[in-house]
Amino acid sequence: MKTFQKLGQMPIGLTVPALALLLVIFGIPIIHLFLNSINAPAFSATNYYKFFGQPANVRVLFQTIEVSVVATAICLIVGYPTAYLIVTASRSLRITLIALVIIPYLTSGLARTYAWIVILGDRGVINNVLVHLGVIHSPLQLIYNTMAVYIGMVHIMLPLMILPLVSAMMGIDRSLMAAARSMGARPLTAFWRVFFPLSLPGVRSGSLLVFVFCLGFYITPAALGGLRDAMLSTFIAGQVASSFDIPRIATSAFILLAIAVAVLSMLGLDLAGAQGRAPTPARKSWVARLPIFGLLKRYFSEFLSPYRAKLWTTQLYQAGDNSSLSNIVGPLFVLLVMVYLLSPGLIVIIMSFSAGAFLEFPPSGLSLQWYRSFFGDPSWNGAAWTSIQIGVAVAILSTIVGTLAAYGLNRTHPRLRGLLTMAILTPVTIPVIVVGIATYLGLVNLGLIGSTTGIVLAQSLGAIGIVVVIVSATLANFDRTLEQAAKSMRASPLQTFMRVTLPLIRPGVIGGAVFAFLHSFDELVITSLVSGYSIRTLPLKMWENIRNQIDPTIAAVSALLMLVPVLWLIVLYLTWWRSRPRDHHSLRELAT
Amino acid sequence: MHAPIQNSEVAALHESPVLPQIEFSSVTKTYGKVTAVRDLSMTVSRGEFLTILGPSGSGKTTTLMLLAGFEAPTAGDILIAGRSVAAVPSYRRDQGIVFQSYALFPHLTVTRNLEFPLEMRGINTAERTTRVRRMLERVHLSDLGGRMPSQLSGGQQQRVALARALIADPPFLLLDEPLGALDRNLREQMQIEMKSLHKEFGITTVCVTHDQEEALTLSDRIVVMRAGRIEQTDSPEALYDRPATRFVAKFLGEANIFENHNFKIESEAEQPSGTVAMIRPERICIVATDAGKRGDGDLRQFVTGIVDDMIYAGPLRKYHVRVGSSVFIVREHVAARQPIFRPGDGVCLNWLRSDIRFVAT
Ligand SMILES: Nc1ncnc2c1ncn2[C@@H]1O[C@H](COP(=O)(O)OP(=O)(O)O)[C@@H](O)[C@H]1O
Ligand SMILES: [Mg+2]
Repeated sequence: MKTFQKLGQMPIGLTVPALALLLVIFGIPIIHLFLNSINAPAFSATNYYKFFGQPANVRVLFQTIEVSVVATAICLIVGYPTAYLIVTASRSLRITLIALVIIPYLTSGLARTYAWIVILGDRGVINNVLVHLGVIHSPLQLIYNTMAVYIGMVHIMLPLMILPLVSAMMGIDRSLMAAARSMGARPLTAFWRVFFPLSLPGVRSGSLLVFVFCLGFYITPAALGGLRDAMLSTFIAGQVASSFDIPRIATSAFILLAIAVAVLSMLGLDLAGAQGRAPTPARKSWVARLPIFGLLKRYFSEFLSPYRAKLWTTQLYQAGDNSSLSNIVGPLFVLLVMVYLLSPGLIVIIMSFSAGAFLEFPPSGLSLQWYRSFFGDPSWNGAAWTSIQIGVAVAILSTIVGTLAAYGLNRTHPRLRGLLTMAILTPVTIPVIVVGIATYLGLVNLGLIGSTTGIVLAQSLGAIGIVVVIVSATLANFDRTLEQAAKSMRASPLQTFMRVTLPLIRPGVIGGAVFAFLHSFDELVITSLVSGYSIRTLPLKMWENIRNQIDPTIAAVSALLMLVPVLWLIVLYLTWWRSRPRDHHSLRELAT
Repeated sequence: MHAPIQNSEVAALHESPVLPQIEFSSVTKTYGKVTAVRDLSMTVSRGEFLTILGPSGSGKTTTLMLLAGFEAPTAGDILIAGRSVAAVPSYRRDQGIVFQSYALFPHLTVTRNLEFPLEMRGINTAERTTRVRRMLERVHLSDLGGRMPSQLSGGQQQRVALARALIADPPFLLLDEPLGALDRNLREQMQIEMKSLHKEFGITTVCVTHDQEEALTLSDRIVVMRAGRIEQTDSPEALYDRPATRFVAKFLGEANIFENHNFKIESEAEQPSGTVAMIRPERICIVATDAGKRGDGDLRQFVTGIVDDMIYAGPLRKYHVRVGSSVFIVREHVAARQPIFRPGDGVCLNWLRSDIRFVAT
């Protein structure tokens, strides 16, 4: 009886809603899919033989791996120096640069992909300018080829690489570089022997993140690539749309999943092992280590402590000598990266005000006609309204379920916590198309395909993972003796949570809600599978537009979507600013 | 009088005048393979200030957490006023706790922090206000009610924590390293203040610390813990003067243990087996080798040695004196106006035979 009572009070019970949702919508279907792919109960590998028997399949598979590897490599090659230069910049410049990386990261991927169509297209910005200048007579074929895929993919993924790198590099103890120098290490040696090894966790998180994202994300390749640039994920999505041949789809999905898992375990374990006694246990899921959320928070706190003089660190960080060359090359490099990250968005914003019958750059005249068209056309503003409603529902559901789960996980045995966290984070850890297929199946079983409820549940899967990551990070800094203190003053567990814990973790909870909303608001891959064509969210409507005829209204929509992250940054800034610990300087003044 | 509380039964437990207020009976607590507390039995009487003293990792905090109800004993039982509280969760108990980190709620003002325990006991707003005001006056913080905890100095935070623990008139008070976070001067000041608060409120207090000075200053009785077990329980004077074991002798103050010495110890009592002889450094006199015997010379033992080192420590001089193969620590008040010896000087050490103690090894 006593043990039974104890079990009921166990904090692990709080993870039940999250786990139940995960199991029903994702867990059971994915097992079902796996069994299908191996022809259960007969158990054979025929489906896999069949897959590899078709040269076209093998070609697509290799192409998928190639694109993902190359895109990750480019991101790393461009991202590492960028991150390094950001970290070594002076404080105010660093804050600005990080903001300039975060804004595209939070901006709708569809809007950014659309920007590249506008730039690279036959009548796009580049061709127009070149023809105008008389350099060429007929437009160059810049779009619908592999090059365009890489340009678009790297553009989408680069912030995902830079942010973990910056976070890892900012965490490197400044005095270590000084110590290495004091022991006679030349600047470059100090960099290679001290700074670089310590930045490897960032390299790992960034690379994993980009690679897995590339594997499952077909939107950009499909929009910018040619017919030959198909990814396995495009294939899978296409199969769902045309013939719903479950064994075939399941087989492709599991091959994709196998690649992801292989790379995850390889990179995840190897680097951790090479590092020896890593500060974080290797068992922790890599998403839990994703420093983006931590970085955002640190970013704000840094933004708000204007007295912290960190300029001296700039000198310590300088890896090379201060020749005039590195003084020019560095800033120039960062400038180019920033132009690459931000100019597509700016061009779309400018073009959205064009007065002509179709989009042009630079616009011949200014008008608000495309905005009028967006707000006037029910198919557009209806889609936006649907997306907002779904986003709010997802934010509420996943914030409640995710916060409970994070709280429960925080209080369970570390080993169990690692396992359960990994389970809850699966939907954001594996290629999104695989999650989409499993979710589709799960919602078919529940009869929720094509319903708002279905979409909300499907999107909440990933959103819960995001909330758990953010709230867990906040809870890790929460001093549990405060709860003991409350209980010692006769506050019941519920009173303790409401009066002490919740107010103190509120910034994390609000941050979680914001990111959950953004996740939902931009979700396309899973939503397109489960919407059943009856519900049209804004990303779906935009995607349809990009694929078929491009209605210039989409420029106005994209421009508006680029405002969303700025708004959210302000919200986060306000909540986190208000919760920041009081500055010690002002305290002294008050105390005396 | 205690505050009116919902759970009057538990409150009533504290009223019994005869029984020891707190009793540990053979309590064991294990975490996986680690035994944090092993077969611990002790009692705390009403109004007593009891300190649990021990090195880091000896199980002090665990003992306190068991008493506070944040941990359940693996074996044994804890009785409060004669009744087992093993099944009573901490939030149904009536106690005041000062945490090592103070655990002031960072999102509430000082006043709201002090109101919290009253509010949880269902006390109305008007009474809360007067009690908070009175308590703030008592701890000299009347002006700071509106501040956030982060706007207070360490000593002020400590006093708020103490005030918050006392405000609801709990029957006993638990302190976990209460002065650990303060600097030395403030610590001495707070020791005096806590002592007077304890006297004024007369509240049964269990304090945990690794600081022997704090323990000696504050306590009526001290429990010395080592590796999860009680080593000795006694009054501060008795502990210092008659330590039962070598561990206690060395943990509380300094001790000269007679080992590898090349002379026979003269003492009044027979040396029990399994013990070593010990003498406190301040019980040893240091004189020049040619100094004559004093009046009580017959009661003393004399040995000769060579000064290894002299350390000047404020009001004290500390000598390390080599006698054969062992080194003796001698502590002498500067005010004694003795000649100062330098390293290499030959000296004569002597002590009263009755100052020799035998401690278990
Ligand atoms: N929650 C816990 N889980 C595992 N071991 C613990 C836990 N709490 C304490 N211990 C272990 O129990 C022993 C006693 O710890 P503690 O009571 O904190 O000692 P003290 O407060 O005297 O420093 C230590 O060895 C410690 O590692
Ligand atoms: Mg302790």
